[in-house]
Amino acid sequence: MPRLIWLSVVAAIAIAYPLLLSSPFQQRLGALVLLYAIAASAWNIVGGYAGQVSVGHVVFFGCGAYAAMGSYAKFGLSPLFGIPGGIVLAVGLAAIIGVPTLRLSGHYFSMATIAVAETMRLIVTNTDWLGAAVGLSGPTVPRNIFDLSFLSALPYYYLFLAILAITLLITWWMTNSRMGFYLRAIKDSERAARSLGAPASRTKLYAYMLSAALTSVAGALYAMMFGFVDPESGFGILISVKILIMAALGGAGLLFGPLVGAAILVPLEEISNSWLGGKGAGLTFVLYGAIIVLIARFQPGGLLSLFTRRSKPTKDTGAGHAP
Amino acid sequence: MLLEARGITKAFGSFKAVDDASVTLEQGDILGLIGPNGAGKSTFFNCLTGDLKTTSGRVLFEGRDITDVTPELRAGLGLARTFQVPQTFEGMTVLENVMIGAFLRTPHRKEAESRARAVLERVGMIRLADAPARSLGTPGRKRLEIARALATEPKVLLLDEAMAGLNAHEVRLAIDLVRDIHRSGITLVIVEHIMEVIMSLASRVMVFHQGKEIARGSPREVTSNPAVIEAYLGKRAAKAAAGHTPVELMGGPDL
Repeated sequence: MPRLIWLSVVAAIAIAYPLLLSSPFQQRLGALVLLYAIAASAWNIVGGYAGQVSVGHVVFFGCGAYAAMGSYAKFGLSPLFGIPGGIVLAVGLAAIIGVPTLRLSGHYFSMATIAVAETMRLIVTNTDWLGAAVGLSGPTVPRNIFDLSFLSALPYYYLFLAILAITLLITWWMTNSRMGFYLRAIKDSERAARSLGAPASRTKLYAYMLSAALTSVAGALYAMMFGFVDPESGFGILISVKILIMAALGGAGLLFGPLVGAAILVPLEEISNSWLGGKGAGLTFVLYGAIIVLIARFQPGGLLSLFTRRSKPTKDTGAGHAP
Repeated sequence: MLLEARGITKAFGSFKAVDDASVTLEQGDILGLIGPNGAGKSTFFNCLTGDLKTTSGRVLFEGRDITDVTPELRAGLGLARTFQVPQTFEGMTVLENVMIGAFLRTPHRKEAESRARAVLERVGMIRLADAPARSLGTPGRKRLEIARALATEPKVLLLDEAMAGLNAHEVRLAIDLVRDIHRSGITLVIVEHIMEVIMSLASRVMVFHQGKEIARGSPREVTSNPAVIEAYLGKRAAKAAAGHTPVELMGGPDL
């Protein structure tokens, strides 16, 4: 059971990390890695397993973030109460977006999702009720523990770790179910999958909705940790791109791919930001561009695919061997 | 009547790839669809499977109109197909490929796996169960197509040039497999270029030429039909062919 051993080692490191490296910077970094890992893992369900590259995933992220902050700013409730609302919103939106766009293939789907995300960002920016360009804030001083407003990053770290574990568990369960098999089949050949009875459109839509729900949770957690959300941090296209690159770098379609990607990219971004200050933000995205090119050119399967078993053509029987 | 097509026409723009073709399929039939390249047999085939929408005409399965039913629902009703160019799920193992078919009848992974193994046993690929599907050559892929389709437990299996690209020995193995499938009670529709396959398998044959049905009957009948020979070999050859057995001319037994 080498798999199980690896899993326990990773889990042990994850649990021990903020206790061993306990400076506020390190703990905050750890929390951010986990947060992005949640978002990237959620993206992975539709982008990795189903092969539908959504570049507008930030739409669902924003739904969660705005729902969490909105429940405080508009109704005086704990941001926690916004999470179910955010999920409902994201899933509903996924259904509306998904039904027409999931029929589109490849780049067309990606383009459509970008368009929806940008439209959403513009709508929110011009909606006074949602704070327009300023955005919404969470509780400045926590009234009780349910406001989930902490000075230290430590509670966030463990909260995110738990949610990440749940996200990965859901993903794992999905990949081992009929739905996961169907998604992989549809990704390879939709026509063949349908001929074998796989309801392609419906399966992709379910994956998209599941992914949207989990992404909205990530958005809500993000807003809680930072205590506010504005159109850029909630619906900015660069968040979509970040999520996508993390999953692709680690390995899209692999359970732990997004986590690996987040563990590499988040520290990279944080360090470059702290070295270069505000000027560094632009450089980070230059770096992202370079990473996209490198992944596409040298390791389309992502870093983790380096460790999955290389399969050589096997010796065939008479039935299987080409003359 | 198991499967029936009534007056199927499929037009691409003003070009009619299939023009008013009808066919009925009884339980236990092996129907061969033949014709020169571009004759419309594959288009007709794809209208039966639902991959193409018919321009006019109806398709009935067990008396039910399935003209507007999607391919995945047709699979559910018991209509399975293979592809001329194998559509292997490259990222999966051989077993997993077959499991996709098996999942149609069971939502449970374990059950799908054991059913898929049984199918692989039956088609003689069990030893390759855990091999990556992309490692298979053409014959393996063709056989895997059939295995996947069988796993959906079809009533009718439609084979689209399942033997193309195989050598003579492999063709004979594949013919044995098809016979075995037929014996198990599955009705078959085969599109085939290789006359030997049609001659030794089909109980009835339908010949297409330029989108139209030009002949039907037993394999013997159609291969001696002058219109068929002309369609394949041209007018002059058809005259010259008088006195020869048509099967030889069409690249039959000596294949």
